Amino acid sequence: MQRIPVAEREDWRATAEEHGFKFHSIDDDPYWDESAYYRFTMREIEQDLEDPVEEIEKMCFSVVERAIADEEILSRLRIPEPFWNHVAETWKNGHKNLYGRVDFSYDGRGPAKLLEYNADTPTTLYESSIFQWVWLEQAMERGLVPQGCDQFNSLHERLQSALAQFGIDGMLHFACAQDTEEDRGTVDYIEDCARQAGLETCVLHMEDIGVDADGRFTDLDENVITTLFKLYPWEWLMIEDFGQNIPKSGTQFIEPAWKAILSNKGMLALLWEMFEGHPNLLPTYFEDDPAAAALGDTFMRKPLFSREGNNIEFIRDGVSEIRNDGPYGEEGFVVQAFHPLAEFAGNRAMVGCWLVASEAAGMCVREDTVLITSDDARFIPHVILD
Amino acid sequence: MKRSRSVALVLMGASTIVLSACGEPEVDAAVYENLQQCIDDPMITRDQCETAFKTAETRHSMVAPKYQSKADCEADFGAERCESAPYRASSGGSIFMPLMMGYMMGSMIGGRSSVVSQPLYRSADDSKNYRTADNRKVGGATGVTKVARSATKRPTVKSRTVSRGGFGARGRAFGSARG
Repeated sequence: MQRIPVAEREDWRATAEEHGFKFHSIDDDPYWDESAYYRFTMREIEQDLEDPVEEIEKMCFSVVERAIADEEILSRLRIPEPFWNHVAETWKNGHKNLYGRVDFSYDGRGPAKLLEYNADTPTTLYESSIFQWVWLEQAMERGLVPQGCDQFNSLHERLQSALAQFGIDGMLHFACAQDTEEDRGTVDYIEDCARQAGLETCVLHMEDIGVDADGRFTDLDENVITTLFKLYPWEWLMIEDFGQNIPKSGTQFIEPAWKAILSNKGMLALLWEMFEGHPNLLPTYFEDDPAAAALGDTFMRKPLFSREGNNIEFIRDGVSEIRNDGPYGEEGFVVQAFHPLAEFAGNRAMVGCWLVASEAAGMCVREDTVLITSDDARFIPHVILD
Repeated sequence: MKRSRSVALVLMGASTIVLSACGEPEVDAAVYENLQQCIDDPMITRDQCETAFKTAETRHSMVAPKYQSKADCEADFGAERCESAPYRASSGGSIFMPLMMGYMMGSMIGGRSSVVSQPLYRSADDSKNYRTADNRKVGGATGVTKVARSATKRPTVKSRTVSRGGFGARGRAFGSARG
């Protein structure tokens, strides 16, 4: 794994606009950053990332099996009691999962360490699948990177094939909250894949979803929503007004309700409890677990529901060194052993590995200058070249 | 190779391919005004006619467009072309829907058909043509005929929404859902 500075394509902003990539910059700073790329070997990709990410998915399924049979665990994960049965049913009835992103701390030397699993509402998908692919094609064509490069990125093909095999009968609805450009970009991209998989689709806002007299969800044209891809966290759905309608609505959700167990950082503590010592796991505990003392006085403290790095705190030698603001934390915390992100030329790199239908499907590298990756971390493309 | 062979997009960006109706593939289907017309057609057995008709009739009240007033329904489907739905709104008022004016089924030619048995309607402004419950044009012909594939899909269940806005509060308070 190397970080290699490279010339930008002069026309990349225009190319981004052409390809429907609207959130390529945050204010005036680039979010998409092609002033460098990461170079991986095939062995690093296959042995250090691809195999572990699929193994972690299997371990996560063991966590789900255990959690649905244990009310104490469901309660620790702050899953509301009216949903315990529903979460278990969606798992037992085999409700399919589409995608997820597993974030690692990885530097090409030791084993990749699992930091978190974005199992429910991951974004960064479009740029991983499409714009990174386009960059590699053009960068090879223009001689910016060596010929014969490959990329860990079969997302576009796998998303279409997974959606085609979902067994969706009738229309697939998509929903995200209003005024969230990046969420909408992700929804639009998956809708594009669904159309190419031969499905009928319709996009609406979460706010526009209706309920009919039988408790079924409806769209703005009065169609009953039978399958809903929602880029909206399960822990929010469950506590909002219409949440109580979910179990009897007859709607199949993507991601399914059982993902609420895995998108929860409490899952990291359960993984460690069940697979302690696994080379890809970091010691992690619920904050109120006496065993957490094993971490000493240097660790990361993460809210169970946090997203975008919000409310994550780094404690070194018992002193709070970094503390991100945000609205999370009321739900409780886990504490995780400190494993710094790899440093390359003053940047901290986080490696996100994509799963589609539980198979390794691609990768994104995000860079920040600080130890806790947040939503303004830059996206750096990668190549595979031996 | 670890990457996709191509990354074509159909909806996003400038390369969008507009799916045009004239280029749409057609499939064989059978369209009848009523059960008797089907039974009289030597192409289809009586059994097949009855099974398909029963399915279409059962689906009619679920998939037909719904209206809160008879006048609104008749404005779209014509005078005396609407009936009460077999259920009421939560407020207690009646719900109206167009009469079933025909039905569509698989043609049975060449074995299994992907055409879903369903009711057909005629709108007031285009009364020569049959339309599906999702307002897709089927055409005016009866008997075994060619129909645009998109018109042969399972019609969506139509409802009357009683409440909206019960999702989204956390999104407004917390911002993006992204992770």
